[in-house]
Amino acid sequence: MCFVEKVCVLGAGSTKYGKLADSIADITTQASVAAIESAGIDPKEIGASYISNVFGIADKQVHIGPVLMSRLGIPDKPSLTIESACGSGSVSFREAYANIAAGFYDCLIATGVEKVTHTGTEWTTTYFAYCSDFFYEGQAGASFPGLFASMARAYLTEFDATEEDFAAVAVKNHDNGVLNPKAHMQKKITVDDVMNSAVVASPLKLYDCCPFSDGASSVILCSEKFAKAHGGDYIEVTGSGRGGSPAALQGREQMTTIPSTKIASEAAYKMAGITAKDVDFAEVHDCFTIAEVVDTEDLGFFDKGQGIQAIREGRTKLNSDISINPSGGLKSKGHPIGATGIGQVVEVYDQLTGKAGERTVKDAKVGLTHNFGATGASCAVHVFQSV
Amino acid sequence: MSVEEQMIENAKEGKVLTHKCTSCGHLHLSTVYYCQKCGSKGFQDEILEGTGSIATYTIITVPPAGFEKHTPYAFAVLQLDNVKLRISGFMGGIATPDDLPVGTRAKITGFDERGIIIEKQ
Repeated sequence: MCFVEKVCVLGAGSTKYGKLADSIADITTQASVAAIESAGIDPKEIGASYISNVFGIADKQVHIGPVLMSRLGIPDKPSLTIESACGSGSVSFREAYANIAAGFYDCLIATGVEKVTHTGTEWTTTYFAYCSDFFYEGQAGASFPGLFASMARAYLTEFDATEEDFAAVAVKNHDNGVLNPKAHMQKKITVDDVMNSAVVASPLKLYDCCPFSDGASSVILCSEKFAKAHGGDYIEVTGSGRGGSPAALQGREQMTTIPSTKIASEAAYKMAGITAKDVDFAEVHDCFTIAEVVDTEDLGFFDKGQGIQAIREGRTKLNSDISINPSGGLKSKGHPIGATGIGQVVEVYDQLTGKAGERTVKDAKVGLTHNFGATGASCAVHVFQSV
Repeated sequence: MSVEEQMIENAKEGKVLTHKCTSCGHLHLSTVYYCQKCGSKGFQDEILEGTGSIATYTIITVPPAGFEKHTPYAFAVLQLDNVKLRISGFMGGIATPDDLPVGTRAKITGFDERGIIIEKQ
C-alpha cells in the first residue's frame, strides 16, 4: 500500500452517554463542536464529515450529515453517513482515515451518534435484532443478548470458565467507569450484583449486558502536515485494519472466536509494525462480558481459552499487565451504537494526550481500538501512538 | 421460488436444502450463491434430514417484539448429523438450562412466524 500522508487525530469530544433528552441532531452537533474546540480549528478548515449512525429513523432524523454541516456553518461541505451496526463508528473512522491518507483532504470530522432509549427496551431489542442475519437469527427470536449468550454457552462448554468469571469483567469495567465523568453507569458493582441480576438471555444476566445508551462522540482527523502547522495536542494513527466474519453464528468454524477481529487486528498490527505485546491499553468491544473475553484472545493479548484466566488474575485491570477498557468500555461507559467506535478513539486521544484524569494509563504510548458490528460480522481495529 | 422460499419449503418437511460446491465439495446452506471456500458458482442441491444435536443455545427472557407470548423460549444452533454444517432456529417450551443440555438430540419440524422451528427428538 502507498499512502500520501500520515494521519493524526487533532481533537476529540463526546456528550455524556446515557438517557439524553436532546434530539439526535442536537447531540451530534454538541459532540462535533466539542471536538472542533478541542482541536482549536475553525470549522471552515473541515473538508467533509463522516457520520456513523444506525437508527436515526427512531428519532425522526436520517441524513444527519447535511444537518450537522449546516449547524457548523459549512453547509457547502459534503458528508457521508455510514452504517455497520454497532461497528459503524470504527468503519466511519477508517473511511475518514483512508481519505486523508490518500491525500483527498487535509482535515475531516468523524462524528458518531445514536438516540434510541426513548423507544423503550422492547423496541430497542427489536431494532437491534435487525442487525443479525435476520432470516436465520432475528426471525427465530434471537436478540443480541441471546446471540452473545449462545457464544457464552459455547465458551462455558469448551473451556474451563464459569458465569462468575464473566461477571468479573463487568465488575472491572464498572470500576473504570466510575472514574469517567461521561460514563452512563458510574456505579461500582460486585460479582454478586451481577449473579443476582435478572436473567436476560441465559447464561447472561442484566449486568453482563451493556446498557442501551444515547450519545455522540466526535474526532478531528488531519494530515501530519496539518497537525504540525496547526500546533496543539495530537496523536498519530499508525495502523488500520478491517475484517469480516460469516454473518450468522451458525456459519463460524468456532462460535468462541470472532474471525473479523483476527483479520482486522493482524492487518492493523502489520501496518503499525507492532505485535499485540506492544499495546499498552485497548478499548475493546465489550457489548457483553463474554465479548471482552473473546476479544482479548482474538486480539492476541492472551491465548485462546486463557482470556478467562487473565480476568481471574486481574491482569486486564487499569494499570496492570494491559489495561483493557480504561474508559469503562461499552459495559459501563455505555453503548450508543453509532457513536461507540468514535468514542473509543476519543478515549485513546484523551489517554495519549494526558487528558484522562484519574483513569490515566501510566506511561502509555500505544493504544488500540477494537469495534465490531453485530456478533462481529464486521470489525475495524486501529492502532494509535503518542507523538 | 427464491432461495429463502426454497429453504422454508424444505424446513416445513423437516429437511435442510444445501448447496454442495461442484468444484471443491464444500457444503453450504442453500442461501449461499458462491462457494465460501473456492469462489465457484457451481452447486449441486442436496436435501438433508434436519436432524442433529444442539451445539449451543440461549433461553430468552427479554424478547424482541412479537415473541412475548412465547417467552421463555430458546434460540438454538443445531449441528446437523454427518456433515460440517449448522443451522439455527426457534425452540419453544424451554424454560431452564436443565431442559436442554448441549448435545441434546433435536430436529427441524417446521417454519412459521417464529422462523425455522426446532424440537427435541
